[in-house]
Amino acid sequence: MGSYRKWGWGLGIATVTAVSAFGIASWQANAAPGDPSPGVGGMLPKVSDPDPVPEAAAGTGSDALTSTEVDKARAAALTPQLAADARGVTGEAGPEYLSADLGLDGSGREAELYFYDYKTDKLVKQVVDASTGKLVHSYSATGMQPPASPREATVALDLLLADPLSAGFKAAYADATGQAFAGKEGLNVTAHIYKAKPADTGASQCGKKRCVQLIVQTGDGQFINVTDVVVDLSGRKVARLS
Amino acid sequence: MKFRTIAATLLATGSLALVAPGRAEAAPEPSPCGAAATVKETLPNGTTWQLCWRINDRAGLVLNNVFLSSPRQPEPVQVLNSIRLAQLNVPYDSGDTEYNDLTEYGLGSYNMETLTGEDCKGGSARTGSDGGADPQQRELLCVSAEPAGLANRLHDYEYDEETGEGTEKVYSRQGHELVLRAISKVGWYEYVTEYRLGDTGQISARLGATGDLAPGEYSQADRGWPIGKEARDYATMHYHSAFWRVDFNIGGKGGETVEQYDTKLDGEGAMTAKLTTTRKTIAKEGSFNKADRRWWRVASPTSTNADGHKRSYELITGADDPYEGHPETQPDVTFTQANLCEKWASDNISDPECPLGIKTILDFAADKQKMTDPVMWVRVGFHHVPRDEDQSPMPMHWQGFDLAPRDFTAINPIAPDGRENVNGNPYPEEEPSTPSEPPASSAARN
Repeated sequence: MGSYRKWGWGLGIATVTAVSAFGIASWQANAAPGDPSPGVGGMLPKVSDPDPVPEAAAGTGSDALTSTEVDKARAAALTPQLAADARGVTGEAGPEYLSADLGLDGSGREAELYFYDYKTDKLVKQVVDASTGKLVHSYSATGMQPPASPREATVALDLLLADPLSAGFKAAYADATGQAFAGKEGLNVTAHIYKAKPADTGASQCGKKRCVQLIVQTGDGQFINVTDVVVDLSGRKVARLS
Repeated sequence: MKFRTIAATLLATGSLALVAPGRAEAAPEPSPCGAAATVKETLPNGTTWQLCWRINDRAGLVLNNVFLSSPRQPEPVQVLNSIRLAQLNVPYDSGDTEYNDLTEYGLGSYNMETLTGEDCKGGSARTGSDGGADPQQRELLCVSAEPAGLANRLHDYEYDEETGEGTEKVYSRQGHELVLRAISKVGWYEYVTEYRLGDTGQISARLGATGDLAPGEYSQADRGWPIGKEARDYATMHYHSAFWRVDFNIGGKGGETVEQYDTKLDGEGAMTAKLTTTRKTIAKEGSFNKADRRWWRVASPTSTNADGHKRSYELITGADDPYEGHPETQPDVTFTQANLCEKWASDNISDPECPLGIKTILDFAADKQKMTDPVMWVRVGFHHVPRDEDQSPMPMHWQGFDLAPRDFTAINPIAPDGRENVNGNPYPEEEPSTPSEPPASSAARN
């Protein structure tokens, strides 16, 4: 399973091919091997500090996908059929885009893009060859809930604020800030996926449906506790955990 | 690519499936990574570490293709294919709250913190992608070299037969570690993923937690600790069970074997107790727990050091609280055959390409496959009893483990000049009292 690498880091220039800068700059910027000077007066020994380079159009080996590669892969992954059939978090046409990365432990440069179809509650995985930009595999399944996107977090907050259960949140906001809640501007919201546990009541559909709990922070850094509330993004409703 | 084949046969891919040709045979292996993703640093004692890094949206910092070299072994030799976090399970003692921070939230993407302030003081902040859906180039990895204290010492005396005079020499060296660090904000907690690569060849993996205690988790005295005035605000105790996935590729040859060693009392010698050490080869997938004097190593059958010994790395575990609330948070280490569908030590149910029913490491190991490419899953738990000092920000609390080289080089990589010929019995003309093979091999059993 990809463990038998044919390349290696040889000495010096032996491996300098596609990435001519690989290893050279940092090697030379460093103390020579055997240099016994660890810095003086409690200073840390030096490490190289290369200037950041502009993001390449295409990555190499285990490099993260570049912006260009992600853009190309997204275009290929969003097939006309998917764009027409699937629905996003607010019900609009097209699936909700969640993430793009190389296969986590693989060795190739294949972009794995994940989308959520709120119409069927299916997680869609589109595998795109990062070098050709072609869609090569497609998979989907229900009952799978990877982390929420920032957009899903924002929509979840909107759903909460529009629900009577937001009274608790607004009271907690007033307690924390000394001011009445006047709107979501300035709030920082993140979301984590909520899946129902056997003892849960009120949100037992979560897991099959896409649900989140929110972490809300005011502009000055205070957390407003809303951990007793679950937002069901699939059903567009809000529940309180018992 | 077993992964795709298995998934394709097990899953009906539904209406979204495409007619796609079989995966093309892999092109020639690419270079390991580009310059921006490479860390290559030589520590003051001459040890060089070279590796690739990237941020995954859920795992956070991932190290790939980790190579080690040193002045007496200048050709870089691979140690790891990859190392990364594989889950962070945080259940509260109230029984009412539980988080899986990697799979329900994610350490990367928008949760990855841009380095600022004193995050990387004295080090080099490296820019790379945050692994997000719309990836941003940010300063995310701190690379630094840090003193590790006194590394070795020897007060030597050399007698010169010709002059009849003795010379005293003191060897004394400070050690250093190459430290790689990235910071993730997960709700109110902030997690520091850290790898310390020592000039001795040791790799220390650890997770630090700081930030703030959960603002809404309060209990009674038997499940919390009062952190405000008087006996009112009992911050709820909770667990952090962290899992790492470690994929060795020793010498670039793969195919490692896993061994467990145990040392037991074995009768009385002329002066004191005798102890005997036995080796058990772990050929099939399984989960294992610590016992006194028990340890594990992952050894290459084909990559040997200059002494002809198998290169290996040994797992060294330290402080740990197992969590009995789940079956998968109890074993200390699990070894499984590499499988790309086995990504997360628990809550491993978020890839439509993969079969259902492989939810935790225990499921991964359940069929007891024979291992030809072992992956090591290490669990380290910490039961956090909050205290007044945890406000605020919380002082960093750490959990982790070490991987120590065992026979990776014939002598240790920072041995000073003058000691390079000390290798084995200095008086070889005298018969050893026991057979010359390593102690365990003669007692091997399967």
